Amino acid sequence: MADALHTLSAAELGRRLAAGSLTSRALCEALIARYQVINDKVGAFTHLDQADVLAQAAASDVRRKAGQGRGPLEGIPVAIKDNIAVKGQPLTCSSKMLASLVSPYDSHVAERLRSAGAILYGRLNRDEFAMGSSTENSALRKTFNPWDLARIPGGSSGGSAAALAAGLVPLSLGSDTGGSIRQPASHCGVVGLKPTYGLISRFGLVAFASSLDQIGPMARSIEDCELLLNALASADARDMTCFGPSDRALTPAGDAKKLRIGIPKGFLGKGVAPEVAAAVNAAIEFYRAQGCAISEVELPSADLAVPTYYVVATAEASSNLGRYDGVRYGHRSASAGTPVEMMTASRSEGFGPEVKRRILLGTFVLSAGYADAYYVRALRARSKIRAEYLAALAGVDVLLTPTVPTPAFKVGEKASDPLQLYLEDIFTIPANLAGLPAISVPCGKSGHLPVGFHLVGAPLSEAKLLAAGRLFEAAHGFAHQQATL
Amino acid sequence: MAEGFDIDHLAKLARLSLTAEEKALYSSQLNQILGHFQALADADLPATIDDARVVNEDALRSDEPGLVLGAEAVTRIAPASRDGQISVPRVVDDES
Repeated sequence: MADALHTLSAAELGRRLAAGSLTSRALCEALIARYQVINDKVGAFTHLDQADVLAQAAASDVRRKAGQGRGPLEGIPVAIKDNIAVKGQPLTCSSKMLASLVSPYDSHVAERLRSAGAILYGRLNRDEFAMGSSTENSALRKTFNPWDLARIPGGSSGGSAAALAAGLVPLSLGSDTGGSIRQPASHCGVVGLKPTYGLISRFGLVAFASSLDQIGPMARSIEDCELLLNALASADARDMTCFGPSDRALTPAGDAKKLRIGIPKGFLGKGVAPEVAAAVNAAIEFYRAQGCAISEVELPSADLAVPTYYVVATAEASSNLGRYDGVRYGHRSASAGTPVEMMTASRSEGFGPEVKRRILLGTFVLSAGYADAYYVRALRARSKIRAEYLAALAGVDVLLTPTVPTPAFKVGEKASDPLQLYLEDIFTIPANLAGLPAISVPCGKSGHLPVGFHLVGAPLSEAKLLAAGRLFEAAHGFAHQQATL
Repeated sequence: MAEGFDIDHLAKLARLSLTAEEKALYSSQLNQILGHFQALADADLPATIDDARVVNEDALRSDEPGLVLGAEAVTRIAPASRDGQISVPRVVDDES
C-alpha cells in the first residue's frame, strides 16, 4: 500500500487514518521516500526537515490513539509556500535577501494548521518575493513542470502546484497577488483557489502588495481544496482586513446545475491558444448540458486590468520592500560604510533582477510629479473594474474564462521579456483588483500539458465556485491526476 | 505619459545601486512597460476610489506595550547584534 499513498487524496488519507489502517508516520515516511527520488527532478521544495516531519507525525499518531484527534486534517501533510511563516523553518521568499532567515513565529495559517493536527511539511519554491509567473525568478533553485520537465510550472506558487502534480504532498498552500495560485494550478493540472480578500488572515505572509495578497489552498481535487479552505478561514485581530470565517462562503452551495454562468465577451478570442479555447468551450458546453444558464456578459474595462495591476502592485511592493535595509534581519552587505551605503549595498546584493525592476517601477509610479498620472489613476481604474465585475455578478453566479491564455511555456522562453510574462495573468488579475474569490479547475490537455478554466464569483461565493468545480470534476477524469515521473 | 524617466534618480530613491548594464536594461524595459500603461491615461475613469478592502477598525488592539517576540528572538535573526541589541554602522559622529 505504501507505494500508492502518494496517489491518494487528502480526504481518502484522512479516512484511512481515522479507520486506523494508516498512521501519519507511515504516510510521511512514504512521502519522504518519494521526495528523495523525485524532488531533484522537479525542484518543488527548497527545504524539508525530515526529522521534524516525522516527529510531528508521531505526535499526531499519539493524539489520535488517545482519542484527541483534531479533525479531518489530523496527520495530513500540508506543504507551505516559502513566503508564509512557520516557526523554526526557513522563510527565504526564495531570495538571497532572506536566504538565512529562520522564522521566529508562526503565521496565522500555520497556527490554524497546527490546531487542526496537520503536518507542516516543508518549504515550497516560488518566484522571489512572489514576483513572477514561472518560478524562474527564484534565487534558490529552478522548479519544473512535472508534466514536462522542460517547461515552467507557472508562478509564483510554482512549487506549490508542482509538488501536488508530482505526488510529493496531498495539500499545499500558495499565495495569490495577481494569479499566483491559479495560474500554476492551471499549468500543473491541479485545483487552486484564491479566497475573497479578507477571508483568510495575512498575518505571517511576507507582504508583496498588501491590498491584493491572499493565502489560498491548492489540492488535486475540489474536495481536498474545500477541506483545506475550511481549516484556514478564521478571524484574526492581527490582520485588520481579515473578517474571518463566513457561513456564506463556506456552507455548501445548492444545486450546481442551477448556476447562472457568465462568459465575458471577447475573453476566448485574441491571444488564447486554440487548444485552450477548445477545452474551455467544452467546459461551457458541459455546464449548458447540465442545465446551467449560460449568458454573455460585458466587462468593458478588462483591457485596463494588467496596467492597473502593475501600477498598484509595484507601488505597494516598492513600499513593502523598503523594510529590507540590512538592519533588523535579512542580508547585510559586508562592504558597509555609512548606514545609507549599507542599506543600498545590502538591497543591491540581496534582491534579484525582477524584484529590482518592480521596485524601480513602483518607485516611479509613486514619485513626485507622477503619482497622480499613474498611481491615482490606477486606483480609479481599479474601482471601475471592480464595479463592472460586481455589476456582471449581479446577473450571474460565476464568470467562466480560461485561467491562462496558453499552456505552460518552455523554461527561459519569456525570461527576457517581462511584459509578455506579465500578460500571463490577464484573466486572473481582475479578481485580485476587485477582491473577489476565484478558482482554477483542471479541464483538459493541450497535448500533454494541462489546461484549466477559471471561475470568479461575488464576494464570499467560495461555496458556489467549489460546487461548480465539483460538478465538472465528477463528470471528468481530471481529479487526482498526477504526472508520471 | 512616460516622459521624464530618470533611472539614476529612481535608483537613488529606491536605495539600489545599479551597474551601467542594469541601468540600460531597466531603462529599456521600464519604458516598454510604461508604454503599456498608456491605456490608463486614455481611459474614462470614475472620480472616486473603492479598493475593495474592508478595514475592521475594531481590530485595533489597545495601545499598551506588550512582549511580541522578545530580544533574544529578535537579535537571533539580526545580521549583527551586541549585548542584546542590534548593531549597525555608526550613525552619529563622535563630535555631534
